[in-house]
Amino acid sequence: MRLLRGSVLSSLALALALSGAASSGEDVPRLMFAQLVDAIRANLELTQTIKAFDGKEVEIQGFIIPVGLPDLTFFLLSRVSALGNYCCEAPVGQDETVYVFAAKAPHLVYDPLKVYKVRGVFEAGLKTDPVQGISLYRLRQAWVEEAVGAKIMKTEEAGSPPPHK
Amino acid sequence: MTIVSVALKYLRGRLPASSLTAVAVALGVSLIMSTFLMTQGIRDAFILGTTDYNLIVGAKGSAAQLVLNVIFRIDLPPPNISYTLYTQLQADARVDVAVPVMLGDAFNGFRYVATSPEYFRPHPWRRKTFTPAAGKLLHDEPPDQPTFEAVLGAEAAARTGLTLGDRFYQGEEMAEYPLSVVGILRPTYGPDDRSIFLSLASFWEMNEIPRSMAVKPLTAVLVRPQRLSDLPSLHRELNVGAESQAVLPSSVLLSIFNLLGLAEEVLKIVLAVVALVVFLYLFVSMYHAALERKREIATMRALGARRATVLLIVLLESCLITVIGGVMGSIGGYGLAYLGARIIAQRGGLVLDPMRFTVLQPVLLAVVVLLGTLAGLIPAILAYRTEVAENLAPLS
Repeated sequence: MRLLRGSVLSSLALALALSGAASSGEDVPRLMFAQLVDAIRANLELTQTIKAFDGKEVEIQGFIIPVGLPDLTFFLLSRVSALGNYCCEAPVGQDETVYVFAAKAPHLVYDPLKVYKVRGVFEAGLKTDPVQGISLYRLRQAWVEEAVGAKIMKTEEAGSPPPHK
Repeated sequence: MTIVSVALKYLRGRLPASSLTAVAVALGVSLIMSTFLMTQGIRDAFILGTTDYNLIVGAKGSAAQLVLNVIFRIDLPPPNISYTLYTQLQADARVDVAVPVMLGDAFNGFRYVATSPEYFRPHPWRRKTFTPAAGKLLHDEPPDQPTFEAVLGAEAAARTGLTLGDRFYQGEEMAEYPLSVVGILRPTYGPDDRSIFLSLASFWEMNEIPRSMAVKPLTAVLVRPQRLSDLPSLHRELNVGAESQAVLPSSVLLSIFNLLGLAEEVLKIVLAVVALVVFLYLFVSMYHAALERKREIATMRALGARRATVLLIVLLESCLITVIGGVMGSIGGYGLAYLGARIIAQRGGLVLDPMRFTVLQPVLLAVVVLLGTLAGLIPAILAYRTEVAENLAPLS
């Protein structure tokens, strides 16, 4: 019983955290890549928490990897930039990659080192498509815009940096 | 006499001035329209002509050169990679299909593309299909028994005049190894139409340097991964190595589009100035006409024409000039775009189809006619305000 209560509480907390992520008056919840990774269980099964977003509109921010046609009607959205960013991060696999199908060819000046904000109908679960192949996470009917407005904090607002481990 | 016939009579009355104004409008419209058609055509040619493969692996160097040469057959080939890189990629569990490609010589400007039969094989994820219009496609060839058979792209066949069974070569040193035409492809509306395909074995045997090499060279390998999400790791591995680079063709094309976009911004400013100059010219022309005709208008008014009628006649005249100019300009715009596309194609560049009709053309025409009519508004008001008594006074 206590275990049940614990899991209910923790999923409530997660739900709260999710709604918190979609704050600042926007009604579309934002999913983080960390959530996508955490939702994966054995044999690429997904948790109910992430499946709850299936068919719902969500926002995900990440780097665009143009693997489809250069009109960007289809592309991959990834936590790390795969192009040119050899300095810093190792490339990620399907757990941190979202297959994005744009509602129409987006008008944007593509920059591999810029973070883009993508909103679309979320799909979770393994699926094989004849053209795009196997994918785990997808966004359909998606809209893309540059993710501007990452909050710039003054040093005193940011507080003291976390201690090194 | 209807308003239209009066307006037409006015036009004919100042035929040289009216036709010059219409020509000015036509030139402006054709310039704007051809620019739009060409810039869109270039973008579309890149999108239509690009490869179905997601990753191009070649030697270290310029990513743009690799894509432009291997996919669009425009630039010079980058340095070679070794054939072992292809076999390694083929053995990689993350790779679904790998296609070896070697570029180098050309016949009458049509590039030789040495490859394996896999290049033409259909897959569910491929948009392009290769079917022979005559003859056959390339077939597997043992490396030590080159057949020197060539399969021609549709345009390469049409422009060189080569047909099935013809033998050809370019340059003295190739006379020993003439290629014979065994197939001609149906049009694919991409760079493959301007290419001449042959087997790798034939290409290596024809050329002195690869003939003597133990490990044969390649220009690039086209890769389709098992999972698209494996592309970043493949891309990184091949790029951090000292020998090779891997390129997502769409990424290179998008950066080319970004550069094109800058040029388009500048062109838009130039075109806006052109439009303004044409607008002012039309205005001045109509204004002069209104001043010249004060006496005529006063006569018409004295004979019972209403002010509104006079206003309409002048507006209609200006509208007619822009309609004539606009239609002439649209035809001229398509003509200019056609010529531009021919020039680009003849320089061995892209094959673009600027002869497309989008919603833009009628919208542009409507805006031109509206603006043209607007340019006639002040002269029309001037005509509207013409006082009968003042302007019918004796001239002397």
